[in-house]
Amino acid sequence: MIFSELYSAYYNTVAAIISRIIDGEHSEKELQMIVAERAFGESVLTIIPSLKNEKWQLVHHDMTTSLEHKPTMPLTTLQKQWLKAISLDPRFKLFDVKFPDLEGVEPLFTSEDYHVYDKYSDGDPFEDEEYIRQFKVILAAIRQGTQIKFEMVNRNGKTMYIRCHPIRLEYSEKDDKFRLVTAGWRAISTVNLSKIRACVHYTGPRELDGEEREAIYDTVTVRVLDERNALERFMLHFAHFEKQAEKLDKKNYLVRIKYDHNDESEMVIRILSFGPMVEVLGTDSFRNLIIQKLKKQRNCGLK
Amino acid sequence: MSNYSELIKNFEKIRAYMRDFYVYGFKKRDDYSEKSTKSARSYDDERRRIESWLGDHMSFVRTPEGKNVFISIDSRTIRHNPFFNAWKAKSFTDGDITLHFIIFDILHEPSISRTVTEIMREIDEKYLSGFNKPMMFDESTIRKKLKEYCEAGIIESQKEGRRVYYRRAENTDVSDLEDLLHYFSEAVPCGAIGSFLLDKTESDTDTFTFKHHYITGAIDSGVMAALFTAMREKRAVTVSNLSRRRDLPRRNRIIPLRFFISVQSGRQHLIAYLPEYNHFQSYRVDYLSQVKLEDVTPRFDELRSELDRMQGKMWGVSVKRNKWGEDRLEHVEFTVKVDDGEDFIVKRLYREKRVGEIEMIDAHTYRFTADVYDSSEMVPWIRSFICRITDMKFSNRSQENKFKEDLDALYSMYGVREEDEA
Repeated sequence: MIFSELYSAYYNTVAAIISRIIDGEHSEKELQMIVAERAFGESVLTIIPSLKNEKWQLVHHDMTTSLEHKPTMPLTTLQKQWLKAISLDPRFKLFDVKFPDLEGVEPLFTSEDYHVYDKYSDGDPFEDEEYIRQFKVILAAIRQGTQIKFEMVNRNGKTMYIRCHPIRLEYSEKDDKFRLVTAGWRAISTVNLSKIRACVHYTGPRELDGEEREAIYDTVTVRVLDERNALERFMLHFAHFEKQAEKLDKKNYLVRIKYDHNDESEMVIRILSFGPMVEVLGTDSFRNLIIQKLKKQRNCGLK
Repeated sequence: MSNYSELIKNFEKIRAYMRDFYVYGFKKRDDYSEKSTKSARSYDDERRRIESWLGDHMSFVRTPEGKNVFISIDSRTIRHNPFFNAWKAKSFTDGDITLHFIIFDILHEPSISRTVTEIMREIDEKYLSGFNKPMMFDESTIRKKLKEYCEAGIIESQKEGRRVYYRRAENTDVSDLEDLLHYFSEAVPCGAIGSFLLDKTESDTDTFTFKHHYITGAIDSGVMAALFTAMREKRAVTVSNLSRRRDLPRRNRIIPLRFFISVQSGRQHLIAYLPEYNHFQSYRVDYLSQVKLEDVTPRFDELRSELDRMQGKMWGVSVKRNKWGEDRLEHVEFTVKVDDGEDFIVKRLYREKRVGEIEMIDAHTYRFTADVYDSSEMVPWIRSFICRITDMKFSNRSQENKFKEDLDALYSMYGVREEDEA
């Protein structure tokens, strides 16, 4: 069962508190810091008081404990089953890890049990040996904060030689691709992993300046007409954005969505896919992009 | 002051609130109490809990009609799904937590084994005697807790003669798995379990971020885990399904076959077989609850093979067959024009089509054709090619007419007249 106190923030926090007490920390203030870091917003009102007033008889009022060992808990069957499931995923090979022996453990699920039906079909080659090798080089460099160098063919067919700080990997479930977010490389800040060639650690003396480039955000404002379940479909479809919604009347809703300016073309297409249930009210330039597409369509001769 | 706690006993109660706050975000307190089953007090408590779990992700806005509470998250900017926190908020009794830590302190290594009587004696003499009002645990309480832990796989029991000995299961080291757990906890189903494992690694990894990332599915992890178990064991289940057309959920006996997960619409469906109606049906996972595993079914493999066959005719999750189990397919075709330098459109067609064929008519024209169960599911995708659709034929004429009417509605909405040049 997933919903169990065995996985709870409270159990984990109490385990951390007892460990610190066993290490010799008895200051309530210090222990309260553990609660603030690990548990929820109002947990400070519960955890230490419950321990201190002997409601939970694990710690005495002087913040000592009769427990002798730092608390640990073996993995539950459910946790092992989930681990087994991910070990069967093709992407598992991207990670260079010492994986526990799970022989005899049934996977919680396999690829037969779920189907992602609308991801794009030109995803990254997760089972390609060179892709796996490069992924591991990049992952290690991110962890160690070191530089990498690689080659890449640009849009004009020209080979570029790049040295940069890899910052993080961004995975898109829709594209089924990883993108590398970099710093210190002036031309581009993000590159598709599948376009990277001959990637190695850079061990030379030259340092790189520069931080990850900040995204430029725009906001699109739309009116959603709640017919044919459009409101629910729209709000779910755009759920992963920062947004704000307002009910205008019984059928109409105003929604403001904040998006990365680089994704504007994608946003236009996504909004158009809702047809007349969604009207772009602003910005004017965004609305014009829709109008241009409609004008072109009107001249396509579709009868 | 009520007996408010930020922990909860029943996850179902909070599931709908979290979804509403996140997905909609415009509902007011009164909108919840108007739904009759939810009192204003209940709303206040659940809102406060969610705020406690999600912290800064909760936002408020005042409107003339009242205060709106919503969860606003750009999932591209966060490292870990904040909804996992809800799964870490299970309530427990004072006895539960006390026993938990003491039992694992007694059984601190797999080599140590104890009977219930021995454990009970140690609890009383070594662990609780120093308290002013020591808790009293009877043998059946401890036995029950140990049984529960055996079922969870964290304690093992062994019978020697008439005595049963308990010892902790072997520890599994996951400290090396941070990146792996971080990635997969966000990228595969039931990621909450990966998050539980990450909690054991003692470090915060920020190697990965996620684009187009629907985080709301996390709150359906419990239902999904139960249904995955049913599939693995090839069992039927009884499940409650709350349709948006009904106020009360309906119990159905179904054979769960496969989840269909969308990474473009944020929806997750279960495709199941209803033995009573000889019918394949899709269910929204967020509307399912109360999964009860039933008997093993001998038909599971046969039904799943049938679903494999049908999958080639499904654009989304809709399956239309007549009462004799014969497919009812709809033909769809549309043609797009591709100008010079627009090879990306051809690439789009190939990578985005899920079923069907693409045919090059001439250097600037491509045709997509498919036979699917439900052509209406394809309409949003076809609309994404607006500005280049030159022809279309649906065997379902009303769908084709609807598409064209919608296009006309768009033209008038944006004031695009026939003579306008792009």
